Amino acid sequence: MAVVEREKLLEVKNLKKHFNVGKNAVLKAVDNVSFDIYKGETLGLVGESGCGKSTTGRTIIRLYEATGGNVTFEGKDVHGKKSRKDLKSFNRRMQMIFQDPYASLNPRMTIKDIIAEGIDIHGLAKNDKERMERVYELLETVGLNRAHASRYPHEFSGGQRQRIGIARALAVDPDFIIADEPISALDVSIQAQVVNLMMKLQKERGLTYLFIAHDLSMVKHISDRVGVMYLGNIVELAESDELYEEPLHPYTQALLSAIPVPDPEVERSRERIILEGDLPSPISPPSGCRFRTRCPHAMDVCASKEPKWLEAREGHWVACHLYDNELNTENKQQ
Amino acid sequence: MKNILELNNVNVSFHTFAGEVKAVRGVNLHLEKGESLAIVGESGSGKSVTSKSIMRLLPEKTSEIKEGEILFEGRDLTKLSNREMEKIRGSEISMIFQDPMTSLNPTMTVGKQIMEGLRKHQNLSKNEAKERAINLLKLVGIPNPELRINEYPHQFSGGMRQRVVIAIALACNPKVLIADEPTTALDVTIQAQILDLMRDLQQKTGTAIILITHDLGVVANLSQRVAVMYGGTIVETGTTDEVFYNPKHPYTWGLLSSMPKLNSADKELMAIPGTPPNLLNPPKGCPFAARCPYAMQVCVDNMPDVTDVTSTHKTACWLLDERAPQVEPPEAALVGGAR
Repeated sequence: MAVVEREKLLEVKNLKKHFNVGKNAVLKAVDNVSFDIYKGETLGLVGESGCGKSTTGRTIIRLYEATGGNVTFEGKDVHGKKSRKDLKSFNRRMQMIFQDPYASLNPRMTIKDIIAEGIDIHGLAKNDKERMERVYELLETVGLNRAHASRYPHEFSGGQRQRIGIARALAVDPDFIIADEPISALDVSIQAQVVNLMMKLQKERGLTYLFIAHDLSMVKHISDRVGVMYLGNIVELAESDELYEEPLHPYTQALLSAIPVPDPEVERSRERIILEGDLPSPISPPSGCRFRTRCPHAMDVCASKEPKWLEAREGHWVACHLYDNELNTENKQQ
Repeated sequence: MKNILELNNVNVSFHTFAGEVKAVRGVNLHLEKGESLAIVGESGSGKSVTSKSIMRLLPEKTSEIKEGEILFEGRDLTKLSNREMEKIRGSEISMIFQDPMTSLNPTMTVGKQIMEGLRKHQNLSKNEAKERAINLLKLVGIPNPELRINEYPHQFSGGMRQRVVIAIALACNPKVLIADEPTTALDVTIQAQILDLMRDLQQKTGTAIILITHDLGVVANLSQRVAVMYGGTIVETGTTDEVFYNPKHPYTWGLLSSMPKLNSADKELMAIPGTPPNLLNPPKGCPFAARCPYAMQVCVDNMPDVTDVTSTHKTACWLLDERAPQVEPPEAALVGGAR
């Protein structure tokens, strides 16, 4: 991806989100996550359930208060004290699309009221006529039509509801959209429709996406860069082609080799890296590298030392002792 | 007899307040001994209803097998009494459900749940059944089976629970195993473990598997034959190679091309426009006609006949009629591209 002028839109630094789960136990859902998102790009975030990808998304948009770390949007701090006015202006710039199109639309509201809610709150329409014009325009943008405006959510299929969710997010003209598993509740043929729509809108409006999903092939398709999460940490981050062609972290390698490919011949001949065991509990994660209990390459140092976040190649970041040159030369000297 | 299970012209309807929903319309299928057959389709295509009608697990009050026969080793399952069906269910034909969180009884130890079927169908003593249960847990790869047999489902993780469900299903050495989306609720790395286990177990036990899924990747991994369902009918069936490398039905083309390929360059995905038909009022002709880019007038008016492409590969599409125009599948539907 030739991003010539890479202007940072969002900066996440050492973001932490811990939940108290009783008896002094703390669930570290997100622990020291840092990444940047550049203007106009799509950053994919993948990982298995419980790895903290959704919590990361929700903390960025301040649906959760962060336990620590900063989120900076266009140079301004997102968290911390804010006046109502500041918060409102910030909310206009950042929007979210949710996973479950059945649960994320209020069943008692008509589609026009759902979509226009943001327009009303931010006073973006002078009168009723203008408000409806905008709603119609948005419906058409996402591939629905005017007649749908006065209907209720239950009258729509999953794919159509997700389009309504997208129209609602677009209503306030945001720059940045967090899409939290926007397609995982949809059928394969409908998934492609929604992904195509999102890519089209990005091109037309210059949107920036944070695309959270567990479907690695779809994430590769839509993202410019992809981050892989495991137990609350980002373990690898690279441009999507690079990540899929040359994954460095053992977890990414296993994750990629586990995806079943719709090609019988490939499936027959493929060597899989099958990880032993299950995800450890995030309440008491393993010491050192959190992946070491399932890692086929685990060494002694992995148990004692947390791996550094380092740039193994240009633009390709990984947190793994295997790529820590300092450590490796140290070992050779010994 | 080669076919262990045969479905002939099966029709299943649900009676709802809105009217009769024709969920399965004229399905013909057969399953050979020891093979694995996948049924793929989107939600609402009738794949789960088909499998539940084999097990006779559909609600009796609201649903009805309207027509057709389901032959298991020559016996018509639709005509059996409930008592006779109970003898087959769980011992001759068993089933794995999608969600391992809800298909186990939370108040019973895992061992007891495995032993339940063994005691009922095979008249084993308590000790024999326990020994068998421990062996089964070992077979499905659960460490320390002697201890874990006394634990409850909540003490197991999702992947481990699915292993327990598989152990229960295999307890009585069934001849047919129906797996309804066995890996959909699991994470990718756990899914790989379970698929590996299922393939391994099939080779060991020789059980015939019907795999119900929407994931073509899982199909390519596990199955020898595929049936593609759409709108309550089977639109294409053949060996896995035939359906993936030489698909003939436009819906199969659509399915194959709407999945992003890991090795493809950034291109727009080929989406299938529109939504599946409403089976309250199913279309008179081909169910896919409304979304099919190649639809002709005849498709809307008449249900297509099943055409034999090869002796194993059958497609229900008017494009295969000799009077129809020649249509090439879109490039994106060609799996493996260069090959």
